[in-house]
Amino acid sequence: MATTRPARYLIVEGREIALDPEGFLVDLSAWTPAVADALAAEEGRTLTAEHWEVLNVLRDFYARYENAPAMRPLVKAVGQALGPEKGRSLHLMRLFPDSPAKVGARLAGLPKPTNCL
Amino acid sequence: MLLHLLNRAPSSSHVPRDVLRAMGAEDRLMLIEDGVYGALNAQVQHLPGLEGRLFALREDLESRGLAGRCDASVTIVDMDGFVALTEEAQRTVSWF
Amino acid sequence: MSERAEAEHGDLLVVLRHAPHGSLWLREALDLALVGAAFGQSVSLLLMGDGVWALLAGQGQGPLGQKGTQSTFDMLEMYDIERLYVDASALASRGLAPDDLLLPVIPVDAARLPAVLAGHRQIFNF
Repeated sequence: MATTRPARYLIVEGREIALDPEGFLVDLSAWTPAVADALAAEEGRTLTAEHWEVLNVLRDFYARYENAPAMRPLVKAVGQALGPEKGRSLHLMRLFPDSPAKVGARLAGLPKPTNCL
Repeated sequence: MLLHLLNRAPSSSHVPRDVLRAMGAEDRLMLIEDGVYGALNAQVQHLPGLEGRLFALREDLESRGLAGRCDASVTIVDMDGFVALTEEAQRTVSWF
Repeated sequence: MSERAEAEHGDLLVVLRHAPHGSLWLREALDLALVGAAFGQSVSLLLMGDGVWALLAGQGQGPLGQKGTQSTFDMLEMYDIERLYVDASALASRGLAPDDLLLPVIPVDAARLPAVLAGHRQIFNF
C-alpha cells in the first residue's frame, strides 16, 4: 500500500528522498541503489554483496507480484533464486536483523509488507 | 455437523443456492434477518431437502410480521434456541 | 473422517464468492488468506458463484488505475497456498472451463463440496 505522507527527507546524491514515518519511500520510483545504501547507513549497516542479492530478490518479487512479501514467501523466493543454503530465515535474520521482510522491503524501495506483523 | 447461517432471502439473492450446494447431509441451516423470508409457505420450496434441519429465528420473523406464515417444515427457535444450535455444531458458517 | 475428507483437510478455508473489481470483498478475502499463510496456517481457497471470475485470465487494472487481483493470485504459491477449489457448476454455468483460468484449480462437484467445508478447521466466507 502506498504511503503518501512524507515525515522526513533523506538527501541522496543531492536529491531529497521523501520517507514516511516508518522510513519507507513515499515515491517508490525515487529508489536507486544509492538510496538503499543511504537508508542502510542510517541504521549503521553497510550493504554487502550478500545483502544486495536479497534486495534484488525483493525487487523482483515486487515487480512480479505487486506486493512486498512477508517472511515465509521471502524465504521461499530467496531459496528459489539463490539456492537452499540462502533460502533460510537464519541467513535473512543475519543480514537484516529483527524483521528481514520489513527491513529488506524498506531498503529495496518496496512498500511495507501488508501481511507481516 | 456445521450450522450455516443465512441472512438473504431466496427471492432476492443467489446466496441461498450457494449455501445449499455447500451443505453436507447432516448440516443445519439457520435463517436469520432477511433470510427468514425463506421460511414462508410460498418460499420454502427454494430450500429443499432440509427436513428437520431448517430453522428460523423467531425474533426476526416477528419483527417482519411473518410469525404466522412459516411453513410447518421449519423449526422456529428463539435466541436461546439459536445459541443452543450453535453449541451443538462443530462450527458455524455465515452466508451473506 | 473419510479418506477423501482427510485429503481435503486444512486449517483455514477462505470462500470467495465475489467477482473482481466490483467490490473489495475479493481483495479482503485474499488479504486474510495471506495473513493466515504468513502465520503458518495451511490455507485453502474455495471459489463459488461469481467468485470464479477472479481466476479468469487476461484481467487488468480498473479504469482509474485500481490494482487488479491477478498478481495476488499469482503470488499465492509463494505463500504455499496451493489448494484452489472451484465449484464446478459455477464454472459451467458461466461458460468457463478450467483451461480459461489463471491457475490450476481443483474442480469440485456438488457431492464433494460439503467435504471441502467439513475438512477445514475454520471457514471464512467472503
